[in-house]
Amino acid sequence: MASDMQADALIRDYLGRLQAASWPLPAGRRAELSGEVAEHIEAALAEAGRRDEVTVRNVLERLGPPEEIVAAEAGGEPDHTTIIMGAAQAPAAAASPWGAVEIMAILFLTAGAVFIPIVGPVIGLVFTAGSGRWTTRQKLVASTIVLASLPLAVLVSLAA
Amino acid sequence: MTHGTRVLTNSVDATIVRDMEPGEARNSLTELRRGVLEFCVLALVREEESYAFDIVRVLAGAGSLVTSEGTIYPLLSRLRRDGLVTTTWRESDAGPPRRYYRITDQGRRALDAFAGDWRRFADAVDALLTNGGRSGERHAG
Repeated sequence: MASDMQADALIRDYLGRLQAASWPLPAGRRAELSGEVAEHIEAALAEAGRRDEVTVRNVLERLGPPEEIVAAEAGGEPDHTTIIMGAAQAPAAAASPWGAVEIMAILFLTAGAVFIPIVGPVIGLVFTAGSGRWTTRQKLVASTIVLASLPLAVLVSLAA
Repeated sequence: MTHGTRVLTNSVDATIVRDMEPGEARNSLTELRRGVLEFCVLALVREEESYAFDIVRVLAGAGSLVTSEGTIYPLLSRLRRDGLVTTTWRESDAGPPRRYYRITDQGRRALDAFAGDWRRFADAVDALLTNGGRSGERHAG
């Protein structure tokens, strides 16, 4: 049925937008969120008992714009607990948004490794360490990978 | 509101306030919602475990606590990360297994603390909103 195909196309399009908007999320969480939203859509359609274009449009509208869902993922609640309840236990700090430090870190870790061998990635790590965007664990993993690959880079440059 | 002069008569001031009101009101509601929503979720999974879809439905139904239903999933994920809820996968009659959410002891403590704070907070705001904080005594004008 044409209408059903249209409905499926709407869902695909919505999930595509979600996928596109969620690039800053960790890969695991990104896939999980996409799965959760897809499951929600299926559950809502099952509840409605129909799958026509109008029903799908309503379900997607109630879900809200994909960009808004991703924004909620980033936290977006600056110190709300302190505003409302003062001393009560605060949830884990919301990840800070992407800024110049993060962009510099990524640039030095990627392009920097090509254009300024060895020094570039190390500068990248310094930026990474200075960022509030990543957790200590993520920083440790990044450092381990970069530092472990340095001897290899030295060998390659000596051989060349 | 591009002009910077703040010399306003009362009536102009009132007009400006009225003009600003819709946006401002919506914002403050959004802010409020943001702060309390996670505790509403905790309250929902306090007695029995729930399926995310049902949690969303209840919240969306209850006085528009949620406007964009999808934003509840990031919230659930955060509660999980913070150890305030725990999840269990269960078989479903209709379709693939579903993830059910249940409160943890830590979540229960956070919710209890919030419930007390909320009571005091709401009482204080109510008092201010109803009689400008003059605790019950009416100001004879």
